[in-house]
Amino acid sequence: MITRIMASEFLKIRRKMILFLIFLGPFGVIGLQAFNFGLRYDWLTKVHKDDLWGGLIGAVSMLSIPTLLMGVTIITSMIANIEHQTNAWKQLLALPISKKKVFTGKILLTVLLLFVSCLLLAVGTIVLGLLLKFGINIPLLYLIKMCFFPFLASMPLVALQIWLAITMKNQAVPLTIGIVGAILSLYSTNFPDWVPWKWPLLINDWGKPIYSVLVGLVTGLLLFFISVIDFNRKDVK
Amino acid sequence: MSNVIIETNKLTKTFGKKNVVDNVDLKVRQGEIYGFLGPNGAGKTTTIRMLLGLARPTKGSIHIFGKDIQQEKYSILKKVGSLVEYPSYYGHLNAYENLEAVRILLDAPKSKIDEVLSIVRLTKEAKRPVRGFSLGMKQRLGIATALLGNPELLILDEPTNGLDPSGIIEIRELIKSMPKEHGITIIISSHLLSEIDQMATQVGIISQGQMIFQDSLSKLRERSKSKIKLTVNRAESAWKTLLSHGYTTELMQKNLFINNDSDDQIAKIIKLLVQNDFSIYRAEEEKKSLEEIFLDLIGLEGGL
Ligand SMILES: Nc1ncnc2c1ncn2[C@@H]1O[C@H](COP(=O)(O)OP(=O)(O)OP(=O)(O)O)[C@@H](O)[C@H]1O
Ligand SMILES: [Mg+2]
Repeated sequence: MITRIMASEFLKIRRKMILFLIFLGPFGVIGLQAFNFGLRYDWLTKVHKDDLWGGLIGAVSMLSIPTLLMGVTIITSMIANIEHQTNAWKQLLALPISKKKVFTGKILLTVLLLFVSCLLLAVGTIVLGLLLKFGINIPLLYLIKMCFFPFLASMPLVALQIWLAITMKNQAVPLTIGIVGAILSLYSTNFPDWVPWKWPLLINDWGKPIYSVLVGLVTGLLLFFISVIDFNRKDVK
Repeated sequence: MSNVIIETNKLTKTFGKKNVVDNVDLKVRQGEIYGFLGPNGAGKTTTIRMLLGLARPTKGSIHIFGKDIQQEKYSILKKVGSLVEYPSYYGHLNAYENLEAVRILLDAPKSKIDEVLSIVRLTKEAKRPVRGFSLGMKQRLGIATALLGNPELLILDEPTNGLDPSGIIEIRELIKSMPKEHGITIIISSHLLSEIDQMATQVGIISQGQMIFQDSLSKLRERSKSKIKLTVNRAESAWKTLLSHGYTTELMQKNLFINNDSDDQIAKIIKLLVQNDFSIYRAEEEKKSLEEIFLDLIGLEGGL
């Protein structure tokens, strides 16, 4: 059943801006860093001369984290809006499929699309590094960490945005909350560790990024669970 | 007696403190076209949403195909096609893709898409984005979507709302042909009796959440008690004369109205008037139209 739901979901995002944005996000970040490194090549290679790849990956993730959070906000809202626009919920949920599965399908679609974005970011970083002649000694583990850990750590925010976007017909509220959250996260370095908007930065008192990832995954899963139950319980608008 | 397809028992939905649907006992039998009538805000859409499992009843029960919707929602919905209020569609997709998005979920054969497109006569428009469709075309696409799963029961909420007369006729013909050709049972809501009196076999009339009439359309017609209208030269004095002889009549716009109860009584009244030298210009029967009966019914209950 869930595979059929996903097939239908992918059909519905055809000809939407969603797919374009999934490409635009990582390519925008890589493009900006290409510009940055291209312009200040001599200086930046001097600063990072001991670890050229590390310098590049760090610079990329500085841009990619806020981009990711903005992306989460916009993508979830657009996915929900496909059904909101002509109130297709009443048609969709009068079909013999469980509401829980429909909602889970939306979550899966969002997570899959954002995963593709992260993957593109990793690939783009490698291509850029090679073009900048940083050698073939690529720190793959570090690269994968920096591309995927922030995404995994922001699962609670993904869950929150999907929940808000689907529950509310007026997208102004989820968009505002998402954008404010993304901005907040830029300045969250000194926030206490329990603030979820700090988790994507992978900074915590223990200095272990994996802690941010784990707490993000657990909280995210919990929120997904609660939102599925809430969606299932509510009358369809 | 044929099979009961839909049966609700004291179905109630409360918003705030108001019973928007109030102890409704709805009964639809196999092969019927059931007209679900009521003025704006009567509770038709709310009832239909509950039938489809989109909203939970505050009280009461719903059985469709003899199964309780609370317990066997999905096995019921497999055999139900629906169209609720204005049509739902994905504007950026064409008609074919819209149907495909639902077909995948129903796991229906691909050939079904062409079939339903041709039933609603949209085959030629299948590759156009639905955003550019006229309201009538969108409504037809909605009906096509409802037919995708080979339903045994079609639930249509105001499918002719906002359509022009030719669009209404088109949808009406489409709906009328279905029980005959496909053996489908249909419940269709409307706020105009005239819109469904040419296709419905049964009617349920709901007003302010309460079911105030539920029977065959012919039973509703019988309700049209006719009156005899007399046009006489001196109406007021004729009225007084009749009253003094024990006949109560209604005096309206210089016409006398007599309840059409017995021929004998009418004859006596006319005789009396003639004997008292009144000139009778006309004596005619006045029958209420179906729409008037409907308005009377909901007017009585609703105090409009
Ligand atoms: N979610 C809701 N919350 C509060 N009130 C509601 C809700 N949905 C419907 N109502 C109220 O319930 C009443 C019945 O609404 P409903 O849509 O069922 O009427 P209807 O018979 O379909 O009318 P129409 O012919 O206008 O479509 C209305 O007064 C409406 O305002
Ligand atoms: Mg309605």
